[in-house]
Amino acid sequence: MEPPRSDEDKQLVSRTQAGEAGAFDELVVKYTPRLYGLIYNMTSNHEDTNDLLQDVFSKAYKSIGGFRGKSSFYTWIHSIAVNMTLNFLKKRGRRFHLSLDDMDASVQNDKEFLELTATSSPVREADLSELQRRLNEAMMKLSDEHRAVVTMFHIQGMPHAEISKILRVSEGTVRSRLFYANRQLQNYLDEFRKNPVS
Amino acid sequence: MNEFNEDDIGKLLRLKRHEQPPPGYFDNFLHEFHRRQRDELLRQPLWRICLQRAQDFMFRLNVPGLTSYPAAVTAVLVCAAVISLKVYQGPGIEKVAVVQNPTSVVATTLPETAWSLSSPVSTRDLGPTLLRTAKYSSHTHRAATPPRYVLDSTPVSYEAAFRF
Repeated sequence: MEPPRSDEDKQLVSRTQAGEAGAFDELVVKYTPRLYGLIYNMTSNHEDTNDLLQDVFSKAYKSIGGFRGKSSFYTWIHSIAVNMTLNFLKKRGRRFHLSLDDMDASVQNDKEFLELTATSSPVREADLSELQRRLNEAMMKLSDEHRAVVTMFHIQGMPHAEISKILRVSEGTVRSRLFYANRQLQNYLDEFRKNPVS
Repeated sequence: MNEFNEDDIGKLLRLKRHEQPPPGYFDNFLHEFHRRQRDELLRQPLWRICLQRAQDFMFRLNVPGLTSYPAAVTAVLVCAAVISLKVYQGPGIEKVAVVQNPTSVVATTLPETAWSLSSPVSTRDLGPTLLRTAKYSSHTHRAATPPRYVLDSTPVSYEAAFRF
């Protein structure tokens, strides 16, 4: 997933700051799918994601007057989304239920899906849908900060440098969190593969 | 049995991109956003709406830009001018009586023999020895300005009556 062009965003931000509400609508339309994916994979709940996403854009609209362009709009809006989601998860605690979206039919044509089912033996051995379910459970066992890094790196395809800007931590911290999270996910899925009924 | 490696984990996680909200969700999102914005606006008290408008207005005026060096110097000069005018005018006028005639006198220390209830103090001729001209009177802060005398703020009628 390529990040949107920065100069387009700059123009839209300037127009919004000049009072053109339609320009902000364009930013909303442009960033909704990407931010939805980010928040959804951090919360694993569609309704929470919807509410949070509305709040994120509302906050961004109120604060855009103070946006001076020191970072890109892309980084800025992602920072708002991640921080608001982390705050929400802290308040929510462990009381939640998974409300996952269905995979769309396009997954059957995904190159990585084909590779996984054709070549990767541990995946081929296990039922893929069951594996996905276990993966979601494993994701929710990670700490909120580790899940945020995994979501941004693996699912959203962001580079380490961008993640470090969004989270305002060093790249080393990002790599360390990613390494630890991958190890945890691996352990959990291996456990499942060895004891599929557990 | 092979174990999952990091690459497998990455590929499995990337498949989560295909988990999508119900059809039409993204199309309706903007309408829902507008609706919530309107609801939020209607729920706000009037003073908060006015405050936000004022903040927006100040932001558009770019107030920080106005506080540049020349503007700051001008503001300081204006303040200094106003303060110096106040100092020059001195204390409140209502308690200061300016004597038009410099030879006017103030009866301050009269010998007890000179007192008489038969005539008012202001109409009596106190004689040259009892007079104190303005140049010896309680000096105000400037020699060039006309002499000023501070009147007693308490009316005479409120003073305790003499008892004999």
